[in-house]
Amino acid sequence: MSKADDNTVLQVNDLNVSFDTPDGRVDAVRGVNLHINRGECLGIVGESGSGKSQTFMTAMGLLANNGIATGDVLFHGKSILGMPVQQLNKIRGKYMTMIFQDPLTSLTPHMTVLDQMTEVLKLHTDVRGEDAARKSLEWLERVRISDAKQRLEQYPHELSGGMRQRVMIAMSMLCEPELLIADEPTTALDVTVQAEILDLMDELKKDSNTAIALITHDMGVVARMCDRIQVMKDGVYVEEGTADDIFYSPQHDYTKMLLDAMPRIDQPDKATNRKLKEYDEKGRDQEFLTVDDVRVEFDIKINEGWWPKRVPLKAVDGVTFTLRPGETLGIVGESGCGKSTLARAVLQLIPPTAGAVSWLGSPLSGLNRKELNKKRKDLQIVFQDPLASLDPRMTIADSIMEPLQTFRPDMSRKEMKAKVAKIMERVGLPQHMINRYPHELSGGQNQRVGIARAMIMEPKLVVCDEAVSALDVSIQAQIIELLMDLQEDFDLSLLFISHDLSVVREVSHRIMVLYLGRIVELADRHEIYKDPRHPYTKQLISAVPIPDPKLERSRKRIKLPGELPSPMDPTAKLRFMPSKIEANQLDYVPRLDEVKPGHYVAEHDELEKLIV
Amino acid sequence: MFSFIVRRVGYAIPTLLILIIASFLLMYAAPGGPFTTERALPPEVLKNIEARYGLNDPLPVQIWNYIWNIVTNFDFGPSFKYRDRSVNDIISQGFPVTLTYGIWSFIFAVVVGLTLGIVAAIRHNTAMDYTAVGISISAQVLPNFVMAPILVLIFTLGLFRLTDGQYYLPGGGWNGGQIEYVIMPVIALSTSYMANIARLARSSMLEVLNSNFIRTAKAKGLSERKVILKHALKPALMPVISYLGPAFVGMATGSVVVDMYFSTGGMGQYFVNSAFNRDYSVMMGITILIGVLTITFNMIVDIVYAWLDPRIRLS
Repeated sequence: MSKADDNTVLQVNDLNVSFDTPDGRVDAVRGVNLHINRGECLGIVGESGSGKSQTFMTAMGLLANNGIATGDVLFHGKSILGMPVQQLNKIRGKYMTMIFQDPLTSLTPHMTVLDQMTEVLKLHTDVRGEDAARKSLEWLERVRISDAKQRLEQYPHELSGGMRQRVMIAMSMLCEPELLIADEPTTALDVTVQAEILDLMDELKKDSNTAIALITHDMGVVARMCDRIQVMKDGVYVEEGTADDIFYSPQHDYTKMLLDAMPRIDQPDKATNRKLKEYDEKGRDQEFLTVDDVRVEFDIKINEGWWPKRVPLKAVDGVTFTLRPGETLGIVGESGCGKSTLARAVLQLIPPTAGAVSWLGSPLSGLNRKELNKKRKDLQIVFQDPLASLDPRMTIADSIMEPLQTFRPDMSRKEMKAKVAKIMERVGLPQHMINRYPHELSGGQNQRVGIARAMIMEPKLVVCDEAVSALDVSIQAQIIELLMDLQEDFDLSLLFISHDLSVVREVSHRIMVLYLGRIVELADRHEIYKDPRHPYTKQLISAVPIPDPKLERSRKRIKLPGELPSPMDPTAKLRFMPSKIEANQLDYVPRLDEVKPGHYVAEHDELEKLIV
Repeated sequence: MFSFIVRRVGYAIPTLLILIIASFLLMYAAPGGPFTTERALPPEVLKNIEARYGLNDPLPVQIWNYIWNIVTNFDFGPSFKYRDRSVNDIISQGFPVTLTYGIWSFIFAVVVGLTLGIVAAIRHNTAMDYTAVGISISAQVLPNFVMAPILVLIFTLGLFRLTDGQYYLPGGGWNGGQIEYVIMPVIALSTSYMANIARLARSSMLEVLNSNFIRTAKAKGLSERKVILKHALKPALMPVISYLGPAFVGMATGSVVVDMYFSTGGMGQYFVNSAFNRDYSVMMGITILIGVLTITFNMIVDIVYAWLDPRIRLS
């Protein structure tokens, strides 16, 4: 392990950070020590609330007003904790820069990319005017942003999330800092974009000898990027070591737990986690859920010329599939692929523009409100943000009870209460919480409430729309286990929507990959990961980092040019069939072929032709 | 932008028509008329007068004539109460006065309100914040009919006594808009607007200061002054701007209390009197003026919006 020496950029000794809150003092960081050397990537891993961000916020002087920090933060041996802001301003942004989790909101909305970048040069260097613009352009090109020159004049809202994060990185590299602090830099991004951003940061580390402090919750990202790792829990370091030490011989129980809880895309089921029961087709040929050529279009207003025009955006563009009783179908895809819209269209929460959904042999689309409400008893949904999807003014018991009041008005209040108590026990919520409000519960507990509410009518189908995405890995593992248990007990069918391919692999019997509203591949879960056929599926799978440093270093990634394009771009849907674009057949819809029994792949050009 | 303005003006015409028709109908729905007095006029006389003003035509004809006169001659009709004065006379006399007060009040309210609000937000939870919040709350709870006498007590009577009649502010009148005559009405008129602006500015600035891009700006090493002026100010102004449109119209069309108390000769008193007197034409004229001002200033607000935030496209 490296020692603190002349090469050390940042050193933190016995740092404590606490916050004065109306509920008393909260100790966020308790006695943390760390150092980062030039050209090194230090990973700081931990779940939410572990204090990993606050440690570096303190170093950057970005602590909230009610925060108090004690200890030592040394930048090249010079103490910067409690340094007057004017002096700190000469260091931060120049020698020490930071990029943040949410690229969508981290750039000033009313300033062009050029203005935001040259501002840094003007502040810290004597590069001005033309030279500053040239230097900004140079960095935008270095972070491989497409049409870099054009980007300079654009505002943040005109760029995608991935591009904004590239701008953030370019901006923080302008003065060639010695230390780049990256706080969950790829958490809000799609996997393919994440892979590109991580590669980029790795290059910067090697080319510019910049030290990187990478704060993340994702063990896969750490395995790909980091030389050394420090694991944090509740404001203290529980373990530190080289990447190999941490991954191959973890000492602390918490590290082991983190590694175990993390689903892996290269393993169907982890030895330590609950295994998915294989799907058994016997005696299950009844018609359950059939989705036939469903389309959902939204009208997008375009302000050009004298009158605004309305252009249809095809969010779901002809999707057909069936779901069998007791089966889980995983739906994966990147943002904007239409996965949530599809699920909502299936439940008729958004009426499909065309196509038919049939449920237990009778059509679900085209029903009036009253008839549909009767069917809703069997069709439930669990949402992504557990706190935001519960009514803050209702106790959790009332929230869970609400479906009973709608569908079973014949039940007495006492019977309802008994039933709520039973389901609460079933989803692992202790009885004493019955009168609590959502804000008094943790994220995992709230998601259990969401599941209890969905399960109380004993539905036959539950849609989980990114139901575990906002949760920490350890909690995520528990919720997944709960869903699998419930599935076995109630013979439940699940539509499991997620952007996380590793999680989907753990919970789904079959997996469907969506790209801009169309199915590109649909197959059995073992099949699709072992033998992916479509270039997009291959790219997605190869982009997911695996929490295994040796494997990560030797893996070859499939890179396709360009980022996820806009659904408004007519050529975007043919990204995997450039031959048809060349032939000017822009309306061509790739066929879905059954390459093996149950394995469907959309038509596409050869992978070799796609990689330019 | 040009097409935006043209389109908005296009929308303004039907809006104004609806405003005219609705006000006309409301006015006629109210009992009484301009010539109902305690001592009832002889029926023949009343009939003659009503015929002269066209009041016995069917309602649609009256509305049509009214609009036609405006469109062709820009004639808003004669006043029913002030003999020999047309609505055009009354407005062209009263509106410049009111507008002068209005512009000064607007400037005062914006400058003081924004400063208070922004300073309070930047120095959140300090003595400065509490003072600014205190000032704006007191300004808001004091209605102008309380403000006006207090101002006169202090600046007219109080100052007169203290300085032996050397320095004091005149307690009323217009006098061609001389500064001493304008100060007190302006303060009385603008304080509650100022307080609203301060409150809006404070809360939106606080929100912006907590946003992620401000954190980015600080991380760049920018000074606090630059962070606020270059990064925080524009987005923080958004909610304030949307309030400024109606606020300006409110100030520019005057207030009865201020007009009466300080005998300004402004338009606010005519408006209220016209409603009491059933002076149909004056009431309609001022209603249309307020309508035009409101439409214009809302359009200006939208243009300023697009300048403050590039995400907003004018449409």
